[in-house]
Amino acid sequence: MSDSKTEVYESFVEEIPADTVKLDVKNLNFYYGKNQALHNVSIPFQRQSITGLIGPSGCGKSTLLRALNRIYALYPGQRAEGQVMLDGENVLDRGMDLSLLRARVGMVFQQPTPFPMSIYDNVAFGVRLYEQISKADLDQRVEESLRRSALWNEVKDKLNTSGLGLSGGQQQRLCVARTIAVRPEVILLDEPASALDPISTAKLEETLVELKADYTIVIVTHNLQQAARISDHAAFMFLGRLIEFAQTAKLFDNPKATRTADYITGRFG
Amino acid sequence: MALLDRRSRRKAANVAFVAFCTGAAVLAILTLFAILFSLVVKGVSGINLDIFTMSTPAPDSRGGLANAIVGSVMLCTVAMVGAVTVGVLAGTFLAEYAGLNRWTSAYASVVRFLNDVLLSAPSILIGLFVYYIAVKPVHGFNGWAGALALGLIAAPVVTRTTEDVLKLQAKQLRESGVALGAPMWVTIRKILWRASQGGIITGALLAFARISGETAPLLFTSLGNQFMNLDMTKPISNLPAVIFQFGLSAYDDWQRLAWVGALLIAATVLSINIIVRVLSQEQKRS
Repeated sequence: MSDSKTEVYESFVEEIPADTVKLDVKNLNFYYGKNQALHNVSIPFQRQSITGLIGPSGCGKSTLLRALNRIYALYPGQRAEGQVMLDGENVLDRGMDLSLLRARVGMVFQQPTPFPMSIYDNVAFGVRLYEQISKADLDQRVEESLRRSALWNEVKDKLNTSGLGLSGGQQQRLCVARTIAVRPEVILLDEPASALDPISTAKLEETLVELKADYTIVIVTHNLQQAARISDHAAFMFLGRLIEFAQTAKLFDNPKATRTADYITGRFG
Repeated sequence: MALLDRRSRRKAANVAFVAFCTGAAVLAILTLFAILFSLVVKGVSGINLDIFTMSTPAPDSRGGLANAIVGSVMLCTVAMVGAVTVGVLAGTFLAEYAGLNRWTSAYASVVRFLNDVLLSAPSILIGLFVYYIAVKPVHGFNGWAGALALGLIAAPVVTRTTEDVLKLQAKQLRESGVALGAPMWVTIRKILWRASQGGIITGALLAFARISGETAPLLFTSLGNQFMNLDMTKPISNLPAVIFQFGLSAYDDWQRLAWVGALLIAATVLSINIIVRVLSQEQKRS
């Protein structure tokens, strides 16, 4: 197979009912300086479900994720064009309040990054930024977030010790707890399990499946089995283009694009 | 044969290299111990209660270093408060905001360059400079000028170390603060500074160690004072200047006081270093 520039990139995007779309990406182009990393990507993300982004390294899946909460705006050379509609509002608009946007669209990173403070303060950090709530309410919020991220039983007796003392898997669930504590609408995860052992990964996946009842979840993963296990929809990306978007079962069992088929059968990538 | 030859040559080279490194380390440590040893031998005998209760004496009379100790503490405290405030903020700018756009990054390279120049500027030049801006215009040596001179020496050290430790923090730590909806300045204040605390404190200590023995800039600025003085607008006594003056004098008791002063400075710097190391170790463990 050749990757010459003249090649046409066929794209198969399955429609999903418009009223179930939480986040709708339309004709998104993304640039790192002069390098274009995303080409005309359009993809809908359904509410109360998990969408998995898969594809070989450098295909733009993390870039797409980072456009959704505009975290890329930290870096002056990076810019996005097109539309990312969050409940009908374009996230890419100039006037967008980025801090508020990020409180609505939370993000968990590849490396667990507990803040250098106690477990309790890690979870309360984001809540304190936006809400003035009583100590009792905050306690409750912290407990609820830790329970939902399946960490409560392991840390309930040491909430005041440093978050840095937890194991890698626990740290990552702490990051999930921290993210859901601010009650976002969307949760973005950038290969959250790649630094975790299989048991921690399984726990994290369980957590995500439980969380999807309330959130729109988008997860970038290198692990095809993981995408197959937990996602409802899956998107295959290649060279900055969206090649195929479909229900996960369909995409894996009956891919429409040859490239998708090649990738999931392990012929490249 | 050739193989064996090469192997033995490599082994010999290795042994020689290790020996050189070890020798250099031993030399450095021996020098340090020699200095500490002579300080202790000549200083300890002179320590008594008078040192801390009485001011510097006239030759052949009873006295201590109280005025110089108090003066040095005041000068260094004021200098460090100023230097840490300016240095931490400047270092934060260089590490976190320099990349904002073309103008900030051009400005940052100028600041970084000047900071490096200042870092290696001879302290006597700084003393002379402060003399012209803070002593001559007010027609008198004064404590503020001394603190300013020391601050100017300490600030570049703090700036540099702050920038360096902030840059060592993982990119994702920044991003995860911002991703929770925290504005950048809150992320810096509550997360990055805290994560860099150990390094920033080490930098501040380094700066403190540097200024605690500086003599030249103080001779131009706060000068010295034979009496106890708490007024920063007046000349103020300080240990390095006393050591300089007394150490070169012909009087035995003055020379003894100079050794005590030197021992006090060395002991202070050493113990602060040890305390901070122990504290930061404990913090890491908890």
